Amino acid sequence: MKKAFGLLLMVLILVVAACTPATNVDEPAKGQVEANAGSTTPEKVVIALESDAVTMLANTDLNYVNDVQLRNIYDPLVSRDIEGKIIPNLATEWSNPDSNTWEFKLKDQVVFHNGKPFNAEAVKFNIDFILDETNKSFYRSRWLNVKEAQVVDDRTIRIITTKPFANFLDRLADDLLIMEPSHVKELGLEKAASNPIGTGPYKFSEWKRDQYLELVANDQYWAGKPAIPIVRFRYIPEFSARLSALMSGEVNLIKNLPVDSVEKIKAQGNVKVAVRESARLNYVALNTFYDGPLKDKKVRQAIRHAINVDELLASVLNGYGTKMTGPLPKVNSGFSETPDYAYDQEKAKQLLKEAGIEPAQLKLQLDTPNGRYPMDSQVAQAIQAQLARIGINVDVQVNEWGNHLSKIRKKEMKDMYINGWGPSLEPQTTVEGLFTKNAPYSGFYDSSVEEQIQATIPVFGKEERKKGFDAIQNKLVEEAAFQPLWQQADIYAMDKKLKFEPRVDERFQVHDMSW
Amino acid sequence: MLGFLCKRVLQMFVVVFLALTAVFFLVRLSGDPTALFLPPDAPREQLEYYRSQLGFDRPLYVQYGEFIVNAIQGDFGKSLVAREDALGLVLERLPATFQLALFAMGVALLISIPIGILSAYRRNSLFDQLGVTLTVIGQAVPNFWLGLILIYFFGVIMQWLPTGGGGSVTHMILPTLTLAGYSIARFTRFTRSTMIDVYNEDYIRTAKASGASMLKILSWYGLKNASIPLITLVALDLGVLLGGSVITEVVFSWPGIGKLLMQSLLSRDFPVVMATIFLISVIYSVVNFLADLLYALVNPQIRYR
Repeated sequence: MKKAFGLLLMVLILVVAACTPATNVDEPAKGQVEANAGSTTPEKVVIALESDAVTMLANTDLNYVNDVQLRNIYDPLVSRDIEGKIIPNLATEWSNPDSNTWEFKLKDQVVFHNGKPFNAEAVKFNIDFILDETNKSFYRSRWLNVKEAQVVDDRTIRIITTKPFANFLDRLADDLLIMEPSHVKELGLEKAASNPIGTGPYKFSEWKRDQYLELVANDQYWAGKPAIPIVRFRYIPEFSARLSALMSGEVNLIKNLPVDSVEKIKAQGNVKVAVRESARLNYVALNTFYDGPLKDKKVRQAIRHAINVDELLASVLNGYGTKMTGPLPKVNSGFSETPDYAYDQEKAKQLLKEAGIEPAQLKLQLDTPNGRYPMDSQVAQAIQAQLARIGINVDVQVNEWGNHLSKIRKKEMKDMYINGWGPSLEPQTTVEGLFTKNAPYSGFYDSSVEEQIQATIPVFGKEERKKGFDAIQNKLVEEAAFQPLWQQADIYAMDKKLKFEPRVDERFQVHDMSW
Repeated sequence: MLGFLCKRVLQMFVVVFLALTAVFFLVRLSGDPTALFLPPDAPREQLEYYRSQLGFDRPLYVQYGEFIVNAIQGDFGKSLVAREDALGLVLERLPATFQLALFAMGVALLISIPIGILSAYRRNSLFDQLGVTLTVIGQAVPNFWLGLILIYFFGVIMQWLPTGGGGSVTHMILPTLTLAGYSIARFTRFTRSTMIDVYNEDYIRTAKASGASMLKILSWYGLKNASIPLITLVALDLGVLLGGSVITEVVFSWPGIGKLLMQSLLSRDFPVVMATIFLISVIYSVVNFLADLLYALVNPQIRYR
């Protein structure tokens, strides 16, 4: 028995030893802290994200976490400044010979990480990549108006659209990234998906699935050598664990700090908090697809008067958010000021009376996800309390996110639901995506609004287009199409010494960071 | 013996098949995954297009039939998210889970058995009472809470150990302790109570009469007999541990199959969910099968029943 036990012990130790790889270890917590505390600047910045990237192929998967990482490896043709305004990147200038044609002049002397030159052929390859059905790009649905990309010469690319595509620059800024064509062709999609080559400020170094992605500075970068030599994106799904990693110094930057932890984090010595008004909006849908009382415009208006957004912002979100009155956030290029529905209980009751409804008889269901948006289910409860003040009975239903989304998509929602939308940086995507017939997200549809939207979308002239969207915004507010709440505040926590200014598009452009 | 083996192997197949069938229908109750992959402004036709591309527009029984036929051939399809072979993605993460599970099991056995024997030997002493209290607490404390407390104390305040991630031995310590916590409590309690039973047996009295020390008798003759039921308990826990501990792996961002299962469930990556469930049920059945074999070897009576 003694022998057997000893043997078992030895086997166990051997198995564990054999299973323990000694490679690629993050510096021990203490070491990292010391490195950061010393006068020498650290070599590396570690950014924690909630999940892993799914592919290193550009132009394939839409999810945010994937995109923010890839944007350090690949460059776009046009990008956004910190406020969300479109600025040149690999394309230096552009023009429209007619409303179905876009012509872009490309930057000279840019090379990919493998030394191959960047040119119009590379741009064509990537556009074709999105359009090719066999690549199953989730971006394709947004590019259906693009007919083809033509190489005019080495430095000029022409893009033909099937109909006027007024927000094409936004599609370019948010979707298209440039991969090196010969690399993708030679390796094939499956292999290229874990071995990216772009023209960006950082080169691929190592991707350890479920653990981290490490990139090293591209010293030949056309916009200058990055200040931080190494960047590591670490995947920590659990928020408390992410926060712990930041506080222990293993991680230097995290996003999406809950509003109720901000004060606690601010009290920490080595960490600072930065807030940015985002282009994501939160709203309460007043569902007209559901055969309920909210089909009546007067009832919707009454609800808008009965919900006190300022109070919700101050008491539930601790002030972290920017109140909205219309469908577009202030950072949207098509934003126009719209009248507010003042918080007025009497007016609300009066409107309900006009609609022939006794508030006490009104029973409404409010669906909310839990944890998808800042304090979402708490906001729902607060709205329930506010509506109860005028006697309206609200039943709050909390859903798992996937289920919530699926109920919206299938138009199975009842009276009201909390939802979010964004980023909303240009007007068309938001208005079309929320308030047209096939768009289920706002729960609102009206044929006259639809006509207005469809008439405005193809308008190419800047002034005229702006006028069209102004009118739509005012009409939507007048109709009480939904209850806009606020622009989410993006809250970041980071190492005190890290220089990083949060962007409205929520990207981590490490090239702009320094120690 | 051969009949016994055949029966057990057949049972394993049934268990795996039933697990796959139940999970197949349960995850599909959670809704269509297509909506989660496309941009919110994607037109309806696109949604339909992808739905038919992914095969979610077909009747459920057709999808199920196809799934079972492919699964028998070891093909669980491609991950909807990563677009790679689903089973491959799971197998890639299996070593990390095994590593953690074996480590945790080792730690649990090394700690719990001596404590259990000693508690039985010094029954009702301060040591025993302390041990019993701790095991009750150990069984009651939820995993995620213990994990977070350990992270906070050893990672944030003391900064002795990394807060999460994989790689070195230091990364293993906290998740191992978290995972072992429950088993330690269970094994200790069990060892203690079976040892107390054994203590009253005739052969112990005989051994005592021969003049051997009580501690030696208990750990020598006693443990051998007490270990038979312990095997089942260890096998059950080992099956659970090897199947990936979802909560511990998520809290410590440990790159194993538990974390993968959680992520693929949230993103409705059905093929990966099914491949993970397949592996977990196979592992669980195999471990239990081996335990039964071992049990039959140790106690010949079992074979003839």
